[in-house]
Amino acid sequence: MKPPFWTRYLILSMICALVALGVIIQMVRIQNIPGAKDIMAQSELYAGVKETIYPSRGNIYDCNGYLLAGNETTYEVGLDLFQIVDPETIATVTTTILGLDYKETLVYARNLPGENARYYIVLADFVSSDKIEQLNILKEEYANRPKQKNEVRPSLAGLVWNAHTKRSYPEGDLASNLIGFFGFLDRKEGHGFFGVEEAYNDLLTGTPKEIFMASDPQLVEALPEIPAGASLVLTIDREVQAMAETVLENSVKWSGAEAGTIIISDPRDGAILAMATTPRLDPNKYWEYDEIFPKPTPFNRAVSKSYEPGSVFKVITMAAALDKGIVEPDTPFYDPGYIEVGGSYIYNWNGGAWGDQDMIGCMQHSLNVCLAWIATELGAKDFYRYLEDFGFNRNTGIDVAGEIHWPLRVPGDNQWFEVDLGTNSFGQGVAATPIQMVMAISALANEGKMMAPHIVKSMIINNHQYEINPVVVGTPIKAETAETITRMLAVSLQEESSSALVDGYKIAGKTGTAEIPTEFGYTNETTNTSFVGWGPTDDPQFLVYIWLEKPSISIWGADVAAPVFQEIVQNLVILLDIPPDAVRQNLTAK
Amino acid sequence: MKNHLLQAYRQAPWRVQLQWIGLFLLGLVLISFVAGVYLNISGRAAAAGRQIQAMENRIGVLKREINDLATQLASITSAEQMHSRVKDTNLHQMDPNSALYIKVPGYQTRSSVVLAPPPNANMVEKPLLQPQYTTSLWDWFVDNIWAAPDKPINIDIKVSP
Repeated sequence: MKPPFWTRYLILSMICALVALGVIIQMVRIQNIPGAKDIMAQSELYAGVKETIYPSRGNIYDCNGYLLAGNETTYEVGLDLFQIVDPETIATVTTTILGLDYKETLVYARNLPGENARYYIVLADFVSSDKIEQLNILKEEYANRPKQKNEVRPSLAGLVWNAHTKRSYPEGDLASNLIGFFGFLDRKEGHGFFGVEEAYNDLLTGTPKEIFMASDPQLVEALPEIPAGASLVLTIDREVQAMAETVLENSVKWSGAEAGTIIISDPRDGAILAMATTPRLDPNKYWEYDEIFPKPTPFNRAVSKSYEPGSVFKVITMAAALDKGIVEPDTPFYDPGYIEVGGSYIYNWNGGAWGDQDMIGCMQHSLNVCLAWIATELGAKDFYRYLEDFGFNRNTGIDVAGEIHWPLRVPGDNQWFEVDLGTNSFGQGVAATPIQMVMAISALANEGKMMAPHIVKSMIINNHQYEINPVVVGTPIKAETAETITRMLAVSLQEESSSALVDGYKIAGKTGTAEIPTEFGYTNETTNTSFVGWGPTDDPQFLVYIWLEKPSISIWGADVAAPVFQEIVQNLVILLDIPPDAVRQNLTAK
Repeated sequence: MKNHLLQAYRQAPWRVQLQWIGLFLLGLVLISFVAGVYLNISGRAAAAGRQIQAMENRIGVLKREINDLATQLASITSAEQMHSRVKDTNLHQMDPNSALYIKVPGYQTRSSVVLAPPPNANMVEKPLLQPQYTTSLWDWFVDNIWAAPDKPINIDIKVSP
């Protein structure tokens, strides 16, 4: 016997089963229709967002921890088309505060969501915090204003802003030639240009990571740890750098030079304490690059421009000859005023004959004839071997971008002639960058050990500071030779009463005046003037290299570059806390 | 006779129905309880997930603000600004030859700036959360109950003198 209402139950069950079957069929159908993939893709849009997280770019500090390059907050202002209710007010306010074009902004704000497939429109980027503050105050004021009868309340709904970081250089153009700049206007593809920003771009940038942020709270996961880019601590002392830049600017103006370069280094470890060159760029406004550096102006002439250094190169020749034992400080030399090398005659800078001299006299009077004789005595093979040992045939490897070197011509090369041995001995016919000169001469100031010049002192990676050890590039001369040449140059400076001398400090140094090669031969109307010096001679703690290009006040290094050296050292000893020699020796003896 | 006996011990139909209803309700209560626990836990996990997201956003904002403030501080204490303050306060550069130098025993001259600790050779990365907070119940059973007999037992015995 069938239970009561059996037929009704049966019909009801069948209807339910049919509905369920219909649902299942529909599910299967939807999953297999041609647009199924599009629907799946659409659904994934709501599952969450994929976002690339860019780690913040590492900071750059000077050797005392002052920030030279950091990151500041800036804003992107845009329109969320879904939220806009009052396009006119948005256009008026953004025109007033952000300086945008009213008509253009109004057209954007009147776009419907989805029109031209746009839901969000960027109005302005890199907007400063104070302008955002003004926008925020207005937006809140409009939102909270009580609505009067029949009044259309103004609204900034739909005007949105998002914070992001921007590279910032709080010291402005200080040390910009060696820091370089970061192209922050390109937020995705921006990278470092020149200086340490380019040389260490990958380290400073860090590793961007793509993550998926799920809308489903069940799927939310902690964001992976994305370490910031490495920070760099430079060897640069910002006070020394600022002083060097100020002195350089004044010197360029005073001397009428076209450009100038000053390098201050610590010869004991190769650390660059300051590197000032002209012109300079404020990296916060790097788009002015083309205007400030018209081609072929190098960004950092200390590493990117070689020149014939002239008589400062004589210290290298003399060091080589002393080291080889060809001459001694008191070796006599009779200067007839000329010397023949390779069939060509070489004369002194003033064309005169200086008669009986010793090696100190040769350096003191900067006699080309004497140095050419020394080079011939040394022989081409040994002379060029020394130049190679001093690093003139290669880059120094300093850790800033854009370093170049002039290919050293040696016997056997097509372009080498015998006369080059004579001219090269006093720094003509051979070219070097200022940083090459600094590296080579650091051997003379550091007991024969030539240190690799470097800008980065330590790196901070994953919250740990890694110190970078100084590197000895080579030992081109013996320690005794270094001591001898230092003593000779100190005596020669004293005896010529050079304007490079600094009261209370014994300094070794040498001036340089170089003729400039042109397509019509050498010109002596304009010169490159240089000076290199180091001290205190009994314990060298600094080496200063100065190069002023084509000064108009005088063509001589002794008149132009030597006084600049004096001014630099007078300031430097205060900034580096170096007491006068007598005081220091007295304190050490106690 | 047999039927009579069976009938004598059979529960009354309404009792049987009550038992079934009771069992069904018990099952329902159990399922509801498990569902409730599941909902509670998953709800709390979801809320915690959202909190984590919010905190991570906050961390990002704070990091950005710290960077921004450090850069602002650097701007207002830049070399140029400090030199202009020096001029305003009428300070002038000292003459090294007229300065008084004193030897101070034990005084350390300027050393290199330390902005982060140096790397340690014995550096061991410690997990942020201790294993007690991340181990599942199953892993805990496996490690501490099932595998426990194989593990050496270290007991510190302190003997008082």
